[in-house]
Amino acid sequence: MTSGPYNYSYIFKYIIIGDMGVGKSCLLHQFTEKKFMADCPHTIGVEFGTRIIEVSGQKIKLQIWDTAGQERFRAVTRSYYRGAAGALMVYDITRRSTYNHLSSWLTDARNLTNPNTVIFLIGNKSDLEAQRDVTYEEAKQFAEENGLLFLEASAKTGEHVEEAFLDTARKIYQNILDGSLDLNAAETGVQHKPSAPDSNQANLEPGGGKDSCSC
Amino acid sequence: MTEKEISVQGSSEGSTTSNPLSRKLNKILETRLENDKETLEALKALSTFFHENSLRTRRNLRGDIERRSLSISEEFADVFSIVKNAARDQTADLINKTTDLQKESQKLDMRAKVADAFLAKYQLKTEEVRVLRGTREGHLHEDFFQALNRVKQIHNDCKVLLRTNQQTAGLEIMESMALHQETAYERLYRWTQGECRSLTSDTVDVTSIHCRAMEALQDRPVLFRYVLDEFGTARRTAVVRGFIDALTRGGPGGTPRPIELHSHDPLRYVGDMLAWLHQASASEKEHLISLLRMATAQRPVSESGPLDICNKYPSLQQDLRELVRVEQVIVAEPGPMVLYKLANLLKFYKYTIGQLLNKEAALTSTLSEMEEFAQKVFFNALNVLASKLVEKVELPPADLGPTATLSQTLSLLQEILASHDSSVVSMDLREQDFARILTSVLDPLMQMCSLSASRLNPADMATYMINCLHAMQTTLSLYEYTDQRLEMLQAQTDAHVDTLVNEQASFILSRTALLQIYSIALQHKPEEGPLASLTGLNTSAIKDGMTHFDGFLATPDNYTLPQCNFLQSTAIREKIHQRAMNLIQGAYELLYKAIHNPDNQYQEPNSIMVRTPEQVKTLLS
Ligand SMILES: Nc1nc2c(ncn2[C@@H]2O[C@H](COP(=O)(O)OP(=O)(O)OP(=O)(O)O)[C@@H](O)[C@H]2O)c(=O)[nH]1
Ligand SMILES: [Mg+2]
Repeated sequence: MTSGPYNYSYIFKYIIIGDMGVGKSCLLHQFTEKKFMADCPHTIGVEFGTRIIEVSGQKIKLQIWDTAGQERFRAVTRSYYRGAAGALMVYDITRRSTYNHLSSWLTDARNLTNPNTVIFLIGNKSDLEAQRDVTYEEAKQFAEENGLLFLEASAKTGEHVEEAFLDTARKIYQNILDGSLDLNAAETGVQHKPSAPDSNQANLEPGGGKDSCSC
Repeated sequence: MTEKEISVQGSSEGSTTSNPLSRKLNKILETRLENDKETLEALKALSTFFHENSLRTRRNLRGDIERRSLSISEEFADVFSIVKNAARDQTADLINKTTDLQKESQKLDMRAKVADAFLAKYQLKTEEVRVLRGTREGHLHEDFFQALNRVKQIHNDCKVLLRTNQQTAGLEIMESMALHQETAYERLYRWTQGECRSLTSDTVDVTSIHCRAMEALQDRPVLFRYVLDEFGTARRTAVVRGFIDALTRGGPGGTPRPIELHSHDPLRYVGDMLAWLHQASASEKEHLISLLRMATAQRPVSESGPLDICNKYPSLQQDLRELVRVEQVIVAEPGPMVLYKLANLLKFYKYTIGQLLNKEAALTSTLSEMEEFAQKVFFNALNVLASKLVEKVELPPADLGPTATLSQTLSLLQEILASHDSSVVSMDLREQDFARILTSVLDPLMQMCSLSASRLNPADMATYMINCLHAMQTTLSLYEYTDQRLEMLQAQTDAHVDTLVNEQASFILSRTALLQIYSIALQHKPEEGPLASLTGLNTSAIKDGMTHFDGFLATPDNYTLPQCNFLQSTAIREKIHQRAMNLIQGAYELLYKAIHNPDNQYQEPNSIMVRTPEQVKTLLS
């Protein structure tokens, strides 16, 4: 009775950024629905999806904001960075230009999010090995130089999609545990449930409450 | 006897005990008759009828005893048969009575069972009553809801009673259940209200018992609404606090920066506030869904279905209006361009947040109002601008190009159209605005140009107008939905081009002294006599003109109408030149034919007009 989609102790906000067509929406869809959307329309403005995951025994609800890569939405999507605990920065391994634009995306991410925002670099479309235009090594190096987590993934096959979203959450959770992320500050992109009063919690357990005869 | 005993014992001491007779004797002797009550009784009874001890009587003793025994038995039997008969009669009675009692008892049992069943069905157990009443501050538990369901069930079942002849009972029970229900709902309401009131933190932790409570409260729509209001008020506190934090505090250590810091940049400022609202709406929607996850009667089952949060948070609207300072930004008149972008931004958020919330949600309608307001102020600004255009008309500059005002207005229009084109608003919404913007700006601009051109000579006017129209066309042609306007501009340009072509052709003809000759030849009718006889069309006059015309053919550029050099569009300049040359060539051909016509009586026409029309055509093209 207490389980189900409503029980979680944290909400983490994510934002997904990167050039148009790199597969941001497909990654989100693969993560939330476990399906590949072959003909996904361009995102208009922003969309969002949610999923509950578990990290170190903690249920965490991810609220993921998928932004439009089209230039004309840039001004609008910039406003969504502020509340993000995690930023997934995506490029397309078969299109070098999307990789070249990463530094501009990274600048935005750094300027507009909070200092603890975990940035995860994803090289998407790893299933298209034959059309590869960006090597794993150079992207890995870029990620290391800029202190980013990095994986190549495929929204089509689902490879590494879970990992990218979960590793980001683990890192955020880690930051909470070691105190580098202050939950009392505003706009950290993390919402923590006040630990439910015990009496309430006890009420949830059918027959478990000794105090059920207290009246 | 004791002596005998002793002597017997003494004598037996020496003799053997194996002698059967002595053993028997011993046994008899050892018998202690005074202790044998049966034998004593028997002897006593015997003495009642055995009066004389004689041989005869002794011999008959057995028979006597037997006879006596028989007679006693018979007597006994007689007596018993009387008892037996009496007993038989009495037992039959008893059995009847017992059967009756058993029947009675079964009936009563049955009744007891019915009564029990009735009570079980129509009465609350004391335990249940206690659970329903609870204490004022007591928590609710699962058993409360079970008891509440029982009350509801009983109340409902009473309807069956009312249809039988147990109406009084039915009514009474109904009444008592109604009372129980009222107390219970009252308690449920207080508890749920308190629970909702406490949900003021960022994240809402709705317990499942709370959800049960919401589900149960659906039966009392008024209470249900009050409780939702309470929830709304609590969430309002949370949202407003969060919003103020975002406005004034920003993130940890000030990154991201507080939204207020961008108040000098209206678009960023409004954009950040609206994006924040969008994200908050999404979270609040989830909280509401989580609260009402069991209360399915009061909301669409589908979670993605429309859900009117904001109407459930009525007081939030007030705050948002005050906090989201869109109106102030608009009233500050940041100029048409910013106003236009603001209107578009608001339109975008109206659409985006509208997808999340119900179309009639208060937030959506607030955004609508803001958007309409921005739009109104924008068009006002455009109209003010336009009326200024017509108010003070500038003279065309010396180069007959567009005036500074025209260029400025066009670049503003271009900026608007460009932002329109890269707008975040969907296509069909964009198209609607377009016609309106174009009308607001282009019509006054056209008026302005016509007014300032009104005192010019035809060639100047045509050139100036062509230049102005060209500037407008160039601006518009870059954008969508301008086809109709472009067509209108083109038609006007064409008219002015025609004027200029004629001016140019006349200019050449008059510079080559052929204008007069050509117009006479053109209007000439045979009945006026041969052309050669007309004044000004004699051979020498035409030859003279042809000399000039040769000069023109040698350096046609020297014969360009000065205004044509002011045309800013080379394409139009070329086109006018070409069409003017065609006219000239046509004029030449007409003249050539006339001269070569024998009726016109020119001598040696080939020496007058040396070049054939084809040669001229080649030279001019
Ligand atoms: N082969 C392959 N194709 C992919 C993959 N991910 C996405 N695509 C395709 O790439 C195209 C663009 O994907 P989207 O998810 O719409 O891209 P986006 O980044 O959301 O684009 P915008 O919304 O315009 O910013 C779609 O046609 C997808 O089918 C992948 O992992 N492998
Ligand atoms: Mg997309």
